[in-house]
Amino acid sequence: MDLTFSPEEEAFRREARAWLEANKPAADERGEEPRQRAEFDRRWQRAMFDAGWAGINWPTEYGGRGASLMEQVIWYEEFARAKAPEPTTLFVGLKHGGPTLMACGSDEQKSFHLPKILSGEVVWCQGFSEPGAGSDLAGLQTRAVIDGDDLVVSGQKIWTSFGDIAQYQELLVRTDPEAPRHKGISWVICPMDAKGMEIRPIRTMAGHEEFCEVFYDEVRIPRANVVGAINDGWKVAMSTLSFERGTAFLSEQVRLAQLVDALVELARETPLESSPQRQVALEDEHIARRLAQCTAEVEALRAMTYRSVSRTARTGMPSAEGSLIRLFFSELQQRVCRLAMDILGSRILRWDVPRGEWDWVFHYLLVFSSTIAAGTKEIQRNIIGERILGLPR
Amino acid sequence: MDLMQSQEQDAIQETVRSFLGKQLSLEKTRRWAEGDAAEGLDDVWREAGSLGFFALALEETAGGSGFSLTEEMILFNELGRSLAPGPWLGSVLAARVLGGAERAAVVDGSLPCALVTIRDADRFEVEGGRVRAQLSQVADAASARALLVYDAADWYLVRRDASWEIASQRSLDPTRVLSSLTCDSECAVVARGESARSLALTATILSCAEAVGGIERTVEMSVEYGKVREQFGQPIGSFQAVKHRCADMAVRAEVARSATIYATIALRDGVANAAHHVAVAKLLCADAYLQNGADNIQNHGGMGFTWECDAHLYMKRAHGFDHAFGPRATQLEALVAELRA
Ligand SMILES: Cc1cc2nc3c(=O)[nH]c(=O)nc-3n(C[C@H](O)[C@H](O)[C@H](O)COP(=O)(O)OP(=O)(O)OC[C@H]3O[C@@H](n4cnc5c(N)ncnc54)[C@H](O)[C@@H]3O)c2cc1C
Repeated sequence: MDLTFSPEEEAFRREARAWLEANKPAADERGEEPRQRAEFDRRWQRAMFDAGWAGINWPTEYGGRGASLMEQVIWYEEFARAKAPEPTTLFVGLKHGGPTLMACGSDEQKSFHLPKILSGEVVWCQGFSEPGAGSDLAGLQTRAVIDGDDLVVSGQKIWTSFGDIAQYQELLVRTDPEAPRHKGISWVICPMDAKGMEIRPIRTMAGHEEFCEVFYDEVRIPRANVVGAINDGWKVAMSTLSFERGTAFLSEQVRLAQLVDALVELARETPLESSPQRQVALEDEHIARRLAQCTAEVEALRAMTYRSVSRTARTGMPSAEGSLIRLFFSELQQRVCRLAMDILGSRILRWDVPRGEWDWVFHYLLVFSSTIAAGTKEIQRNIIGERILGLPR
Repeated sequence: MDLMQSQEQDAIQETVRSFLGKQLSLEKTRRWAEGDAAEGLDDVWREAGSLGFFALALEETAGGSGFSLTEEMILFNELGRSLAPGPWLGSVLAARVLGGAERAAVVDGSLPCALVTIRDADRFEVEGGRVRAQLSQVADAASARALLVYDAADWYLVRRDASWEIASQRSLDPTRVLSSLTCDSECAVVARGESARSLALTATILSCAEAVGGIERTVEMSVEYGKVREQFGQPIGSFQAVKHRCADMAVRAEVARSATIYATIALRDGVANAAHHVAVAKLLCADAYLQNGADNIQNHGGMGFTWECDAHLYMKRAHGFDHAFGPRATQLEALVAELRA
């Protein structure tokens, strides 16, 4: 048991820090409009890729650095420390589409797609959820009929983040409607410019556009785009979800520590409306204790993250305990943002004012999704209960 | 960076667990709690001594095994899991601060030392190498041959003598026997200043380690029961109200365990802000133990409300743990002070 980093890891950290300081773009150049954001993210990802900082723990054959998961974590720590902007529109490709291809894709699929994903050339999106199949993903109905060398897809997906700006989609379709639910599904790479697709953005409760409805009307996708075997897509999807739940949120976990530090600063300088003398929030006993609790919990989160990375280093697998961390993290993130609202007071009610570096109100709205997306907190609790603790279904 | 146990540490855990299974099972502890103290702790203590349990962190030249605080953490995880009675913490700490023959006696198990932290209602007056003390709620006094006393500034050793008067008090936690104790005895300062503070941090983190063992046991108990107890024709663990409570218990256990491992290593390695990490661990372990202790009772239904079911024992331990070395409010205040600094 050890809390120190090896000399190689320390050297890696110093190098990463220096490079980020010199090269990170300013986050406020990113803009709000999705296409503009994607353009920014792709340029920034390309810069990281060219300098050898993309895909720290991706194998070198796919353009990655071939380093350890611990170094990936160190990179995220430095990334958060530098307040470098997260290329969020590239999330699906980098954090679960790419890793899924590595685990289950054919050689042609890997060599064609992985370098494009890593270099930021393409945006990917995820077409799993449907109006009738959210938590119960295996209930999905979007049909694919095999016709010669093509799959012909008809149906609808929903909540597809970045669907309007993506070039590719990890798409789950039903290829055998007669088979049991989990047996007739296939995982397909769908080019978003295929004929017969219609994409309609959906406005979120935070007022911005992030996810879409996607309609498929006899869309032809080459059969060669199926990842894994036809009808074996559930297994491939489980691999996608294991990355989504295991390692995809590492950078967010690391970033939360930064957010809590910022919250302490906010509490130090914000006079509290409910205080008769308008003392700053940090002087208020109730607020200060909640803040202290958050700092303690975010430190535990960091220890949990290191522990799961240590575990992964032993076993070589994303650990199932990822669901424990994901659940704790998502609820903690919500407590942190809720506390920010209590510190800010009634000024949060006005929307048409500059919202500052941390954009607390927008953040507060945004994190309502963190206990819904990638498996709701109820589904996470089912997974912990059934797969980690072994309780009956 | 590595927060997982090594194979050698797994082996230590196995040794301790099998020793406790044989010598200090919860059934045996319960018999003692019912007043059947006939068997006494002396033999158990000598065997623990011969296995080196009181000296895991001492150098080999000092009669120890040359391990460290992390291996002691594993010992205390196991003690907490089985709710083992006896003055473990006082003895392990005394082995650190004593020297010569006294240390050797603690190490071989012939000088069990009960840990006392002075409470507001206690009297503890030291003068000219002697102490006049009137103490209440002293744990494990009957089996102790000495007291290791912390008055929030310095640490003292008080050897047992003819002046000791011990009267047992009924205890909330039946596995942790309490007594009043008065004495007029020789008394030596064994740690002061920086080393006293560091010993207090060691004591705090080892009690966290003990709590972690109990916290994890509450999860196991609830899960085991959830699989076998059936209602409405199905195991109750299949009901989400129960399943999700178990999931939350598991999350709290992982939070407590991770924070404790982190703080233990920080303290072992003399990291600059180790005291801060210890406060974090103490706060989160107390949150976790109290909540898991209560949830475990609920998961057992009427059975959980019985004396026979072990669930209440863990809940009661949780309260004792919360009050050792500063309850949650104290830890929070310390963290608040850091934020305001
Ligand atoms: C911001 C955001 C981005 C997203 N991005 C994508 C994306 O890119 N691609 C994609 O495919 N999907 C995406 N999703 C969809 C997401 O995966 C689903 O919203 C999620 O799986 C829940 O499904 P649902 O919305 O149909 O809710 P439902 O499944 O209808 O759930 C409604 C409520 O019922 C509860 N519930 C349902 N089943 C159970 C059960 N068995 N036990 C207990 N409670 C239950 C849920 O927990 C929830 O509280 C995104 C969602 C959000 C919010």
